[in-house]
Amino acid sequence: MSSQTSTRKRQELEAPERYRPVVDHELCKRCKKCVNECSYRALEFVDGVVKSAGGCVACGRCINVCPAHCIEIRQVPSQFPPHANFNERVRRGIMSQASTGGVLLTSCGTDVPYPVMFDDILLDAAQVTNPSIDPLREPVETVTFLGGRKGRLEVKGNGRLYMEKDPGPVIAMDMPIMIGHISLGSVSYNAQKALFQAAQELNILAGSGEGGLHKDFYPYANNVVSEIASGRFGVTGDYLKRTAAVEIKIGQGAKPGHGGHLPGEKVSALISETRMIPLGTDALSPYPHHDIYSIEDLQQLISVVKESTEYKVPVGVKIAAVHNVGAIASGIVRAGADFITIDGFRGGTGSTPRIIRDHVGLPIEVAISVVDQRLTAEGLRNRVTVCAGGSIRSSADMVKAIALGADVIMTCTAAMVAMGCRVCQQCHRGICSWGIATQREELVARLDPEVASARVVRLFRAWNEELKEILGAMGIDSVESLVGNRDRLRYFGPNSKIAEIMDVKHVGEGWG
Amino acid sequence: MNDGRNWIWAGIDAIRTPAMAQGTRLKEMSDHPRRSVDKDGIFHNQGFEGRLPTPELYGATRPPGMKYQMGGCGIAGCMNLEGGRISGDRIALMLETMGERENGLGAGYACYGLFPEHREEYCLQVLFDTEEARCNVEELLKTTGDITKDERVYTHRVKTMHPPFPIIWRYFFRPNPNVEWRGRLDLSNDDFIVQLAMHINSDIAGAICVSSGKDMAVFKGNGYSYEIAQFYDLERYSGKMWISHSRFPTNSPAWWGGAHPLSILDWGVCHNGEITSYGVNRKLVEMNGYRCSVLTDTEVVAYTWDLLVRKHRLPIPAAAFAMAPWYHKDIQRLDPESARLATWLRITYKEALLNGPFSIIVGRREPEVTLIALADRKKLRPLLVGTSADSRILYTASEECAVRVVDPDAETWTPNAGSPMIAQVGKGIIRTGNELPFVGGN
Repeated sequence: MSSQTSTRKRQELEAPERYRPVVDHELCKRCKKCVNECSYRALEFVDGVVKSAGGCVACGRCINVCPAHCIEIRQVPSQFPPHANFNERVRRGIMSQASTGGVLLTSCGTDVPYPVMFDDILLDAAQVTNPSIDPLREPVETVTFLGGRKGRLEVKGNGRLYMEKDPGPVIAMDMPIMIGHISLGSVSYNAQKALFQAAQELNILAGSGEGGLHKDFYPYANNVVSEIASGRFGVTGDYLKRTAAVEIKIGQGAKPGHGGHLPGEKVSALISETRMIPLGTDALSPYPHHDIYSIEDLQQLISVVKESTEYKVPVGVKIAAVHNVGAIASGIVRAGADFITIDGFRGGTGSTPRIIRDHVGLPIEVAISVVDQRLTAEGLRNRVTVCAGGSIRSSADMVKAIALGADVIMTCTAAMVAMGCRVCQQCHRGICSWGIATQREELVARLDPEVASARVVRLFRAWNEELKEILGAMGIDSVESLVGNRDRLRYFGPNSKIAEIMDVKHVGEGWG
Repeated sequence: MNDGRNWIWAGIDAIRTPAMAQGTRLKEMSDHPRRSVDKDGIFHNQGFEGRLPTPELYGATRPPGMKYQMGGCGIAGCMNLEGGRISGDRIALMLETMGERENGLGAGYACYGLFPEHREEYCLQVLFDTEEARCNVEELLKTTGDITKDERVYTHRVKTMHPPFPIIWRYFFRPNPNVEWRGRLDLSNDDFIVQLAMHINSDIAGAICVSSGKDMAVFKGNGYSYEIAQFYDLERYSGKMWISHSRFPTNSPAWWGGAHPLSILDWGVCHNGEITSYGVNRKLVEMNGYRCSVLTDTEVVAYTWDLLVRKHRLPIPAAAFAMAPWYHKDIQRLDPESARLATWLRITYKEALLNGPFSIIVGRREPEVTLIALADRKKLRPLLVGTSADSRILYTASEECAVRVVDPDAETWTPNAGSPMIAQVGKGIIRTGNELPFVGGN
């Protein structure tokens, strides 16, 4: 068989396309802007008209740039004979693996329609026996602190009062929101700049990701949590000193038990310099930290980091939510972490094996509550700040996550969507048409850091206003009084066992 | 805190309620337009046909299935700042005057400095539903210490009160030296008493220890404030300080054990309000070894005072600040030392912040009889303080009428939102509640 025939034969066996851009040729001005903007080459200009060329991922770039508003993307109806068990998703996976012979890569959080417990929880409000608070007229506080606590304050003095010991480093944020760890590498220079700038303007924190901190971003260091991941990319003495807090990343919700993965396509000169790795090579972080094979090793690393940062910044540990998360969290607090970040299994990523993203871990709603209960039972909850992320999609999710037991919520995807991301799950390919998850200069240039940053600022300001609205309705005037206040939640879903595990009463159950 | 709200309350100072201005005794209260007094001298709220249908009534046993109770209330307290004695009928009159604030589902009083001859012994007052419960508690006390004296607490049947009527016993108790509790040798006497009281309340069926401090006792039960006063014949007691409470519960059964004051060791707490952060506050005390058995927010408030002041040795203004702190933006107005301490109190004790509306009167006996009056930081529930013209008697109450009825010439003021009034026998008024929270610095 000639190679041409075999190529054709192979193509015959590929899965059919899922999305198709459809152009209204009457309205089309033939400006070809869409063709030039489509980084997935899904559009072509043939015989004087714009046509679909296959491979559309529904990123929507063409729709937004079209001056004639004449493009729509259609989801192609399933071309597979119906089968409830071997559904389309399953068959596409098989076909893809048969073509490539590899581990299926994907990105963003899982798109499998698992139940979302956030959507099964209702909040309480104040009526009669206590007044609701009007955030337009009364103070409602959302200031949140990140850092370790001693559980007790030694106050001395008679008349004038003073603390004998320095209670240690802590960071004040204006809202209980942290932009999660999105590394330079997984996203572009402009995208990270926009996120850091937004964090600075909002006076909140943003994670560095495991890619080090680019020297241009040193001015944002007071709002950056520096990550130490298993690859130790870019971890230098300087990196540890120019930071608000340090986070040792053990795991990530989208890929528990896995290391970071930056495909070689994204390792540009800029990335190579910041991460201190060769140009164009895949940056694959080891799965575990090879100096942490047990909890006592983690304790040592925490001590080392605290020593090297001279006890000036909080040091935390991030773990993926896994089945034994309560006990692991307890161990981490006992090992000396000032804060602990739990990342639920629906959390996003720039690249992960699909099997891990879609099948490993614990939903964040359950993980938060379990950790909060466990730390409380062991008398440790007031020693540590608990941050939680893994698909906090809205302010409602944020409020519920806090009420379930998180001090701070961590979100990435929402910030990305604010900047233009359409959650098309192609980040791992490095050709993001919105200039976010790419290192190609011409694509990166599409993202204006000022515009993107302003959008992120507006998004989280709006969330914070909505948080105040809800707190006021609940008769609570400071967000710390919501943390772990599960009494104010009711479960309204199909599985009361989940409610029991989350320590949330069922709807209809009153106080007593 | 100057949030403007206080000045509105301060205006009440000028209002005199004519019917109450004369220091009226109980029976004269029939002139009050909302009251009637029956032939036994018991008065009722009008507007209802006698008493409202009462829910199930409970004695020492916690109502089954009860998870939490809430409601509105009236509170009152008085103290002789020079250490002289005040008779129980004075406080009863103060409390009864605020009849609008109760609905007959619980009231109570705590007296401090009433057992001078037993000053150094813990006075345990325990309610029992059965003789068996009493035997179990006595057995426990005998194996862990000496009962130097015990007696049935005097009670007097009141026609209008409904059963159950628990057996009420008083024990003067000294724990064994080198006391051991469940294998633990590191407990102080006070810690031991805390464990003992919580054990009785949680584990001994049909028994509830309503007070456990030295030289103080709690008298409480199901009924209107005047019924409880008659039931215990409060006139027979006099002490340096009284605090009291009448309940208007909204949705919970009436339970003798759940009435206020809630007390642990020498702490007594009368609380008007509903803590919207109960779940959070409860976590703090449970993390520190307290077991919640009464399941009211007030119980948690009492444990929080014990934790912060006795165990963590915070000065009272610092502890009050942790429970009703300034807003962060206001903290920035303080001098840097004070602001730093204030911020760290908020960070360290964020679970102690009592959110939602409340006003509380807190009593303590150690190191000297002390009264603390504190309202929430938005001042969503009323609280007022007053002194007699000769500055010897201190009053505090939800409403001005409660002070005027016993002392028409008292000078009254309102503490600021979130600012504690602190008075101590022998020292007088330490804080009026109108000062800055504290001054930081060494």
